[in-house]
Amino acid sequence: MIGGSRSPSPQTYARGLENLVAGDTLISDIDGRTGRLLYRGYPIADLVERSTFEAVSYLILQGEIPTAAQLEDWENELRRWRRPPRAAFDALERVPRRAHPLAQYRTMLTVAACHTPEPENTTLDAQWRRPARILSWTAALAAAAIRHLDGLGPVEPSDDLGFAANFLYQTLGVIPPEDEIRAFEASLIVQAEHGLHAAAFAALVVISTGADLGSAVLAGMGALSGARHGGASQLAYEMMAGLRDADQARTWARAALGRGHRFPGFGHRVYRCPDPRVKALEGHAEAVLKNHGMEHRWQVYTALRDEVETVLGPKGIYANVDSITGLLYRPMGLPVSAFPIPFCLAIQTGWMAHCLEYLPDGPMIEPGAVYVGSTDNS
Amino acid sequence: MRYKYRVNILPTLSASFDWKAEKIDWPVTTEVGRGLSGVIATTTDVMWLDPASGRLTYRGEPVETLAASNSFEEVACLLITGSAPETDPAAYRVVRDQLRSGRMLPADVVGLIRDLEPATHPTRLLRAGISALGCHELSVDDDLSGEQHWRELRIVGQIAALAAEIAAHRAGRGSPPIDVDASLPESVLAGLNGCRPDPEDVRVLDLLWVLYAAHGLDAPTFTSMVVASCLADPYFNIVAGLSALRGPRQGGAGEAVLDQLAALSEPRAAGTLVRRILDEGRPIAGFGHRSYRMPDPRVVVLRRELAALANRRGRPEIFEAARAIETAATAVLAPRGVHVNINFYAAPIFHLLGADAAFGPCLFAVGRTAGLVALVREAMDTIRLVRPLSRYVGPSERSLPDPGST
Repeated sequence: MIGGSRSPSPQTYARGLENLVAGDTLISDIDGRTGRLLYRGYPIADLVERSTFEAVSYLILQGEIPTAAQLEDWENELRRWRRPPRAAFDALERVPRRAHPLAQYRTMLTVAACHTPEPENTTLDAQWRRPARILSWTAALAAAAIRHLDGLGPVEPSDDLGFAANFLYQTLGVIPPEDEIRAFEASLIVQAEHGLHAAAFAALVVISTGADLGSAVLAGMGALSGARHGGASQLAYEMMAGLRDADQARTWARAALGRGHRFPGFGHRVYRCPDPRVKALEGHAEAVLKNHGMEHRWQVYTALRDEVETVLGPKGIYANVDSITGLLYRPMGLPVSAFPIPFCLAIQTGWMAHCLEYLPDGPMIEPGAVYVGSTDNS
Repeated sequence: MRYKYRVNILPTLSASFDWKAEKIDWPVTTEVGRGLSGVIATTTDVMWLDPASGRLTYRGEPVETLAASNSFEEVACLLITGSAPETDPAAYRVVRDQLRSGRMLPADVVGLIRDLEPATHPTRLLRAGISALGCHELSVDDDLSGEQHWRELRIVGQIAALAAEIAAHRAGRGSPPIDVDASLPESVLAGLNGCRPDPEDVRVLDLLWVLYAAHGLDAPTFTSMVVASCLADPYFNIVAGLSALRGPRQGGAGEAVLDQLAALSEPRAAGTLVRRILDEGRPIAGFGHRSYRMPDPRVVVLRRELAALANRRGRPEIFEAARAIETAATAVLAPRGVHVNINFYAAPIFHLLGADAAFGPCLFAVGRTAGLVALVREAMDTIRLVRPLSRYVGPSERSLPDPGST
């Protein structure tokens, strides 16, 4: 368990806790040298191919692939929470349009948190009752926040649709074609868990104080909103949207490489090799772009990726997941400023799993600080 | 591991370890215990809590000295800007104006709070309020890179303004009137009690906030630091920090202290009450602190203040009850190294100032924000991203079950 070793042991780490091993986890195995990402032992490529977001979220939280009966219960539970309190939607009318979309969404969540059932019950049982509500409420609120960017009102959920399809329906107002739903669902699956990244760690610190799971998710979301974490997908998409075709992409990339340009959506703190999430999404992105007559953007992406990876690959810099999600989301009709939101909806599954893994006997996380100032005057 | 293992392990978990004397030379090797105790997350010259003596200093000044002679606004100035208010009175006036600049809440933020049930836990109202306020303060195009102390100072004042508004909402009163000359404690007490505060009450709240302003990398501060390290806007940091503020192990501890006081019928019964709580395997509220193996020096100041305040209110029995529980619990727990902590006396003081148990954490939040924003700002100058690693101990790679089998 994270932070759980009972006998203190020495470790070496740098600023920002770099290289500190905070503890053990059973949830995901990330190998940044070989490009392997396993949820509870299952490779993400297999899950993308053969599973749904509902089944994968169950797997991440509970540790095993659900049986048919377990899956049905979980799906029903998720459907049951698709209607968040009215007040959380109304909060959008109380904040300026020009505020950051994630800040507006954050405000909806903080208002919804004033209307949660048994809010002050932080027993382990009560915490386990929360993930379904959090996943479904946040999806409905996120959909409304995205529509609000275009001045549109919320759409009622459709109980016939699965999690991914219903989110797209509530966001776009129409049900997209089946292959686009699958593509979007694939993006949720590959982004549903990624170890103890900074946002997951923020959530863990909050849960360690005895707070409720919703509070932990809010902290994770705050971390995700930051430019170092969740902002790269927009920048990556805008970079590609500014390039006309593969030739121009190659020419521009070569010149930019010569200048030592840092390419948004390339390079990752963990992966020193091709990002397995990119590999799992590329086929979907190509198909969606082609359906929308946007082959040129796919060619821009592959040209850019090849140019950058040829030069920077030997240094461990490859396209990361932020380079590809925009290529799926934009043709479906999501505005660029909303790109971090699906990531947020997916990855909170992992945060909650880490929190629930920590909870049974996790101590409060409270590291030290070292004083370097003047000695006191007395 | 990228770093060579160094022979020099800093025994930071030991009480004899002298943090100040050690030169911190990154990367560093320390003993790491439960909850990351012993880990050096950052270096700071904002505040220092000496684990050996329990002494707390802000920018080198002992906190007891500051509490006796400085207002909370002056201490916020010291913590956030690093300059003592006395050194440049003109500069301090500017700082004080920035602290108070957040007193006018936008009508939409007031409306958002007023639409919520007054019975909602006030820390949730505070979090919703600061989140909405953040939307009014910053637009999607704002470049935050050049922001300096004024933003942090303003946020402290905004938390105070929201606390006053929420207190009035909970009491069923309209928004407190804006008094341009009111200090932060004056405006919060006015919101809390619906009248001009007694100067002696203002002094007590000032003092409480000074004592609470900074206390190392507590969970709210550390959470906020992790979020800030991802370059989130400052209101995300505060929302995250407030999320960590009132778990039962944090700012919520005060609620348990008041329940415990209420459970005592008369001072003579304190021994029985303490034994019963311990026999039931529950902790004594207001006792024990990770950082202290000795009595918390701030308690000495607050014990005196509670005695005086309770007398002034004609409620001496509150102090007598607290003193009786403290004595009875200390007799049992002190030999185990568990001592009374600041919440034990702060909670009844908050109560006598007009805050009910649930509102205590909101009052705590105002004081703590001053140290939080100062520590976070300082850490951002040196830290890139706060992110530890985890070790995977789960199942090895496996194949999905046959579709037919599920």
